[in-house]
Formats: sequence, C-alpha cells, structure tokens
Amino acid sequence: MKKKFLVLLAILCVLTALFAVGEEETAQVEQQVTLGSQPVTITFWHSASDDAGLLVDKYIKDFNENNEYQITVNAIYQGQYSDAATLMKTIISAENYKELPDIMQLDATGKIDYYKSGKAFTIDDAVKFFNDDIIDEYVSGALGNWQFSGAQLGLPFATSTSVTYYNKDILKAAGWDECPDTFADVIRLSKDMKAKGIKTAVFGAVPNSPTLANWLGQLGSYIVNNNNGTDATATKLECIDNGALKTFLTEWKAMYDAGALENKSLSTNQFVAGEVAILTSSSSSVNSLLSKVDGKFEVGATNFLRVNSSASYGATVSGSCLVMFDSNDALKKAATWEFIKYMTGEKVQADFAAGTGYTPGYKASVENEDYKNFLAKTPQFSVASEQLAKTPASMRSITVGPTVDFYYAIQNEVTGMLNSGASVDATVESMKENLQGLLDNYMRSNF
Amino acid sequence: MIKRKTRNLIQDSVVSTVAVFIGLIIIFPLIYCFCGAFKTPHEFLTPNLLPGSFAYLGNFIEAFEKGNLLRYTVNSFIIALFGTSIRLCFSILAAYAFAYYDFRFKNLCFFLILGTMMIPADVLLATNYLTVSRLRLLNTYIGVMVVSFVSASQMFMLRQKFKSVPKEMREAAQIDGYGDISYMVNVLLPISKPIITTLFVQSFIGLWNAYLWPLIVTASSPNMRTIMVGITKLNSWEDENYQLVLAGVCVSLIPSLILFILMRRNLNKGEMDGALVG
Repeated sequence: MKKKFLVLLAILCVLTALFAVGEEETAQVEQQVTLGSQPVTITFWHSASDDAGLLVDKYIKDFNENNEYQITVNAIYQGQYSDAATLMKTIISAENYKELPDIMQLDATGKIDYYKSGKAFTIDDAVKFFNDDIIDEYVSGALGNWQFSGAQLGLPFATSTSVTYYNKDILKAAGWDECPDTFADVIRLSKDMKAKGIKTAVFGAVPNSPTLANWLGQLGSYIVNNNNGTDATATKLECIDNGALKTFLTEWKAMYDAGALENKSLSTNQFVAGEVAILTSSSSSVNSLLSKVDGKFEVGATNFLRVNSSASYGATVSGSCLVMFDSNDALKKAATWEFIKYMTGEKVQADFAAGTGYTPGYKASVENEDYKNFLAKTPQFSVASEQLAKTPASMRSITVGPTVDFYYAIQNEVTGMLNSGASVDATVESMKENLQGLLDNYMRSNF
Repeated sequence: MIKRKTRNLIQDSVVSTVAVFIGLIIIFPLIYCFCGAFKTPHEFLTPNLLPGSFAYLGNFIEAFEKGNLLRYTVNSFIIALFGTSIRLCFSILAAYAFAYYDFRFKNLCFFLILGTMMIPADVLLATNYLTVSRLRLLNTYIGVMVVSFVSASQMFMLRQKFKSVPKEMREAAQIDGYGDISYMVNVLLPISKPIITTLFVQSFIGLWNAYLWPLIVTASSPNMRTIMVGITKLNSWEDENYQLVLAGVCVSLIPSLILFILMRRNLNKGEMDGALVG
C-alpha cells in the first residue's frame, strides 16, 4: 500500500514539474530604444475578410515596404469579430499574455473584456507615453463609440452607421420622390403602393440591440444605464420608466398592423433582387449593394428611418476600432503606435472608405481630394458622413455584458409581440423582466 | 392472393414515395449548395435553383484565392485523419480494458469517464487552452488534435460492443495461444468493423468541421488554420457573398463524401466476419 502511495506521489510530482516548466515566463524589462535603431516585428490581429481583407493586406504590404522604422507587421486573420473576441478572452482567462497581439481590430463585443484584461494599452495611455496627442484629429462621433469608463480604448478603423436605402423606381411608381422619413411615412407609402397595385414588400426588419439603441436614441433614451453601458458596466434598463420603449413598440406595431412591415429581416440580397422597397442597413454595405444592383434600378440612400416626427435624426456609430496591448516592450509599443496612426490616418481611411463604404474616422480623410472626387461620383457614400454630423453627440451604441443573449432576447420579444398579437404594455413588461434578468445574471456571475 | 399482392404493392409504393420524399428533404441542402456554388453573383439573387451553367468556376477560383483553401484543406485532413486514428486507438484500448479486465474501482473509473460527456465543450475551452499552452503545444498540429485524443462516447460504444461478444470466444482464443493484443487485433476488431467504421467516419467529420478550437490554438500560426476558418474569410459584414461560401463548402465536403463512399461498404458488412478468423 505504502509502495503504491509512493508511486502515485512520484507521478504527481513529475506532472507538477511538467506543468511548472510550461508556466515559466521570462520577465521582460521595458527598455527605452529608439524606433528605427533596430528591426521590430509586431503582430496585428484582424477580422477583415473578403474585399475588406484584401484591402487590409494591401495596406500592411505597403506599410511593411515603405515605413522608415524597420517595422514589420505580421497580420493574422482571427475569424469574425466575435471569434477574435473569444480568442482574446480565452488567452486572458488563461493568463497566457505572451500570445496576445500588439494591436487588434475589435468591435463592440470585445470592448469590456479588453478594458478589463489588465493588458490594455489604451489610447489615453499611449498619448501620455509618447506625448503625442492626436485625439483631435479624429471624428468625435467615431471616437465616442470606443470609449469605456472614461477611457479612449481604441482609434476608429472601420466606422459605419445605419442608413436607409430605397428602390427609387418602386417609390416613383407609387408616386413618391423622397424616401419615407418616419414609421408613419412607411405606412403611407405602403397604402400608396397597394393603391397602385405594387405587391413588393415595403419594409422588413427585426429590431436587435444595436438597432433598438438607434431608435431609442432618436427618442432621447438609452436602453441601459451608464450611457448605454459606455461609461461603466450596464446594470439596469433605462428605457422603461421614460416611456421610450413603449413609444417605439407602439409605432413599430402600427407599421405591422397596417401591413407595411414584414416581421422578418429582409436582407441586402432581397433588396437587390427587388423584393423590398426600403432597407435599413449598415452604411458599410453601400459599395457591395451598388455593385450588385449594377444599374438594374436606381438606389437611393438617406438618413436612418425615424420613429416619429419628434424623434432626432441619426443612428449610433458601429464598426470596429484598433486597440493596443501592453507588451512591456517600449520598441514594440512605439512600432505599434506608428502602425495604428498609419491604419487610422488620412490615406488609409480615405482609401478604405472608398473601397468598402465605411466612413472615414479621420477628419482629414473626409477632405482628401481623391475621396471627395469619389463622393461626387457616388453620392450614396456621403449619406453616412452627413448623418453622423446630425446625430446627437449623446447617442451611444449599446455595450452590455451579456451581448449575444441581449441581442436575441430583443429580437424574440419584438417578433413574439407581432406574431402573437400581444399588447405593447405586456411586451414592455416582458422585456423589462427578461432583459433586466440578463443584466442581473451577468452582474451576479462577474462581480 | 392477388388482393394481397395488390395491397403489398400499394404499401411498398407508399413507403417508397415517403422514403424518396424524406431523402429529397435531407439531400436538398446539398443540391442547393452544389448549384449555388456555380451561380454568378447576379444569378444568386434569382429564385432559380439551377445555375446558368455548371461550367462557371469563378466562385471556386475566388474561394481558393481569398480563403487559402488548398493549404487549409491539407491542414484539416492531417488533423482529422490523425486525430481520428489516435482517438480510435485510445478508445479501443480503454474499451477492451473495461470490457474484459477486472480491477479495483473499475466501475467508478468508468462512470467518471462517462461523466465527462456531461461537460459542454465550450466550458472546457479556457481550461483546455491553459493545459495545451502549459504543455507548449500551441501552434502545433498536436495542440489542435490533443483534446480530441480521448472520447468517452466512443469508448462507451466500443465497450458495449466488446461486451456483446461471447466470453467463450476469448477463452477459445486463449487456448489457441492468443494473448490480449492478438485476440483484439485478429478477432475482436474484425467483428467490430461496422461500429469502428461508423465511429471513424463520425469522428473524422467532427474534427473536419471543427472551427473554434483550431482557430484559438493556432492564433499565431495562420498557416495551420483549418478549412472552416478559410470559409469564414469568404464572407464579410460589408458584403454577403453566399455563392463564394457555398463554393468553399462544396470543397470542404469532398473529403467527407469520399470517406463516406469508401467506408459505406464496411458500415453494412457482416457482423461475424472476424469470428471465422478466430
């Protein structure tokens, strides 16, 4: 028995030693080294795929070949935003910080985890560290989306907002020269289309957390507290007592009851196929949308649909930003700072905007001659920038801990209301209970 | 007599029609995927099922270029083949031990292993990552495969199969001078060919389709990514390129289909083939 015990103990010791070897980490001492004095390689994780991925590859090639500081950027595609955020979370949970990149493309889903990672090297940190205040060079609306708890986490890279696209040919046939501005206008358009015998669907969407944040933002309300979760972790709903959610649901249900709204998300492809007259979508879709329509009908672009005539114009900013991690290596940090300024700077932002439909987050890019010429030829691209100028500065996209559950809970509640014919008041109560429950669960599990 | 024949004929016709209908429902996504992969971007927006021409290969060319599918297919093949083979070896050995050996805490060990089936894979993501990282297996093929080397469900199914083989067969083999390994290789495995083949195909497809784990473990080695990661590169937030994705999916289906066709015969093979050998 004693012998067996000793054997077991020996095995345990060997295993512990094995894991201890794996855990060994070399302590890095941060040294001040002048950028350009020696070659340096930094790692960049991105989620740019398809055509945007090809553009990102082009910028990196250009940077690697032409930068004067011997910087090499090793760019790695890490799947979609949510996958990359999961990867980041896993590495942080495992405290395997050496696997973290120097710079990463992040959307709203990874904001809180990045901030709490303990390895965030925020833009505020970088501005102080390099004594290089570049914040004023960026569009304030785009910057605001990447703040949390008072810190500027990242710089805008792929900035988009929601706009309304419409099929001008269908609207003209119904006797409309302009796109509907409010939900009530959509109902009127629907009546006119029916009167002219046009059977195409008018509008189809299912609200989710980002789109609800847009519409409630127009009504001067946030979905959750702490400025929609951008100043601190959201803990409670803020759209119930002020009646904003009820107002939105009432107008939404009115559209459905009038037959002007399909209770499903009609996609860009359905719009391109001429199956729906109005589409609310990301401004970043404009390039692909125009190329797919390819002149089959005239595409109009205008401000994001308003809930009612007293609502403000605009929609929140979305897309992605570039954030930096603290590598404890001054040379890498300096190289990363140069690279982030390049990727979010005038030339790249103007080119990326023209190539995709994203809005430049850098002020000078909007004035860039090439970009201005491009806008003159394709005015649909300028709607997003114009709308951003009209959007109230207080409007914020939503950041909540249970991101995915919140997204689907809103969709299920709203579609459920229309499918079952439930009253607006009952739906408000149900949403209050479910959404608050998700926030409470998150707080219980994480704080 | 004629009445019965007619009744049987009607019954057969109804059953066959229902079977064909269900078969069509099952196979329709594959047909849709195959047809969609040959459609031009404009054709994809039309409701027609069939493409204008099956000679249009633009989507495949673009998918291979944008998604680096060739390299990723090789990676997926290596991971799926070796991962499955090693998993089956471990499962067979463990199942044999649980089916034939008597040792202390046998039942406790068995139920502990079965208990791991109750733990969702997502929960293990961080702990598995931590283990693989500490073993310094990140960014290696072994790191991708190692978490799939042991499968409680496979071990359980094989153990049940081994237990169904009469014990007399092992005793007879022992009289003939067979040890445990030779009995397993020459008698037990040939008898169990159908279930081993089924588990092989199932495991291969599972590892072939793996996405999140290979993505996470190969974070610093983009050349070690699998085909499922390559397919996500074909679509984006800005543009829905479903025809490209379908072309990528068609490519990803090829090895699984070939494997299924090759193994199909073994799935139905006679149960007692190996008994003659023994």
